[in-house]
Amino acid sequence: MLAIEATGLTKHFGPEIRAVDGIDLRVEAGQIFGFLGQNGSGKTTTVRMLTTLLRPTAGTARVAGVDVLANPAEVRRRVGVALQEVGLDELQTGRELLTLQGRLFGLPAKEAREVAARLLEVVTLTEAADRPIRGYSGGMKRRLDLACALVHGPEIVFLDEPTTGLDPVTRDAVWQYVLELNRERGVTFFLTTQYLEEADRLADTVAIMDRGRIVAEGSPAELKATIGTDVVTLTFGSEADAGRAAAALNLFEGVQRVLTAGSEVAVYLPNGAAAVAAIVRLLDEAGAPARTLVLKQPTLDDVFLRATGHHLDDGSPRAAEAAAPGGTR
Amino acid sequence: MNVLAATWLLTARALRESVRQPANEVANAFIPLFFYVVTVGAIGSVAQNAFGVADYKGFQLPVAILQGAAGVASGAGLAMTLDIQSGYFEKLALTSTPRLAIVLGRMLADAIKAVILAGAIIVLALLYGSEFKTGVPGMAVLMAATFGFALAYSGIGVAIALKTGSPQAAQAGFIVFFPLLFLAPTFAPIEVFAAWLEAIARANPVTYILLGMRSLVTEGWDAAALAKGGVAVLAIGAVTLTLTLLALRSRVRQ
Repeated sequence: MLAIEATGLTKHFGPEIRAVDGIDLRVEAGQIFGFLGQNGSGKTTTVRMLTTLLRPTAGTARVAGVDVLANPAEVRRRVGVALQEVGLDELQTGRELLTLQGRLFGLPAKEAREVAARLLEVVTLTEAADRPIRGYSGGMKRRLDLACALVHGPEIVFLDEPTTGLDPVTRDAVWQYVLELNRERGVTFFLTTQYLEEADRLADTVAIMDRGRIVAEGSPAELKATIGTDVVTLTFGSEADAGRAAAALNLFEGVQRVLTAGSEVAVYLPNGAAAVAAIVRLLDEAGAPARTLVLKQPTLDDVFLRATGHHLDDGSPRAAEAAAPGGTR
Repeated sequence: MNVLAATWLLTARALRESVRQPANEVANAFIPLFFYVVTVGAIGSVAQNAFGVADYKGFQLPVAILQGAAGVASGAGLAMTLDIQSGYFEKLALTSTPRLAIVLGRMLADAIKAVILAGAIIVLALLYGSEFKTGVPGMAVLMAATFGFALAYSGIGVAIALKTGSPQAAQAGFIVFFPLLFLAPTFAPIEVFAAWLEAIARANPVTYILLGMRSLVTEGWDAAALAKGGVAVLAIGAVTLTLTLLALRSRVRQ
């Protein structure tokens, strides 16, 4: 059964900005679906359309089997949402906020109080529960915001970059809770993130979003398998050195692909360990010695780089496929 | 959850906020009381000779109440912008509660605060020596009228807040009230106005609200004055609520 289904989902802000450009989504119930992309790639706009905060310019979307345009109130009843920006009323206490949220979802007063108390415990805010939220730290606010998304027991939860700004311990606690809810209660999660580790660790399926379009989709293992080779990542003192190195590496025996991004070059080849020494010699001869060299198995970052032409987290210039004499290899 | 139950929950939340920010309410009370005392002090002793008003304290009492109600009700728009800017408005909009309740809850809270302030102003005016011709029943009617006016007036700031999301713009809603208040028989009876000012005052709905309220304090039960005042409140309410609903629709249907 599909928890989320979208066809040709599109959002334009005026004629110039195509925030989401006709994407198709199929998220199975009970999955954790990771939505990877840089800032401005269209992740948040997609979440806002699927949760009825934005009207699509075109396309259709069904969430929990309900059309987001035809019956938005029913969609809201069945989903929980924690947006990228924590939205809290800082004059209320944590307990008041959660209880009110539960009441607004139609829980009876007693049940709303009980659920609030339980969630406060889960997000380790019981001690601070009766203090005004304005005194909470950023991490405490983020945890409370997450609890708000869960207060009515939704079957699908949208988390828009839920761990951004959290310390590693709190981030790990959030991950544990997401996994627990998913495994034990079958809650479907639609998780946008800029953290590759988060997607790799949590998501059953990952979609990579770039410039309003989905450019790759599959399980983390499937996506990494598409790379099919080892990756040797080299950094150089300048972009010119990187360019010279890329041209030379394109001629290297067994190389399947060479990508440059600024002063960095990624070389995709089988059995990279055996080739490292020869690569170093080749670069010395080409007059472009590498500053660093890293040999690794493919990661989601490599998948992201190959799919989008740039790294996820560093804002580096878009990678260019290094042209070999006589064509790209 | 139905709209009435949700509205009440959100009204209670807004009232809790007011209790936690008493400075705002002190300011809302101080301004009308200050103007009341100063105006009565400056003009009260000559009002009888100048324009035949014997009880100027009673004459000014509805002015203070309307001024206080407008001050309180303008807070709804500002509070709404703060909810929008903090993201809490979206959190509320993501619940399954009717979105109209998000707006009505805020407006209703300010109307309740305006009634409480009106009660305080009446008590202080009585202690200051004002009369109240219709007694306790009249006070209840006056407070009901204050409730209606504050509810209607708060719609201006809320509509601006929903449309712009700007605190500065929402606060500007309060400015609308001043021309309306001073183009009405605020300091003197309408009969002593210059012809041009009288014409404007007679077209101003606040005039009829003020005269209706004033009749309760200084004259006794006057059904016609009360009916005109009621119609004026309803007219303002119809306009502001329509604007508010249009602005809400525009904000939640982006």
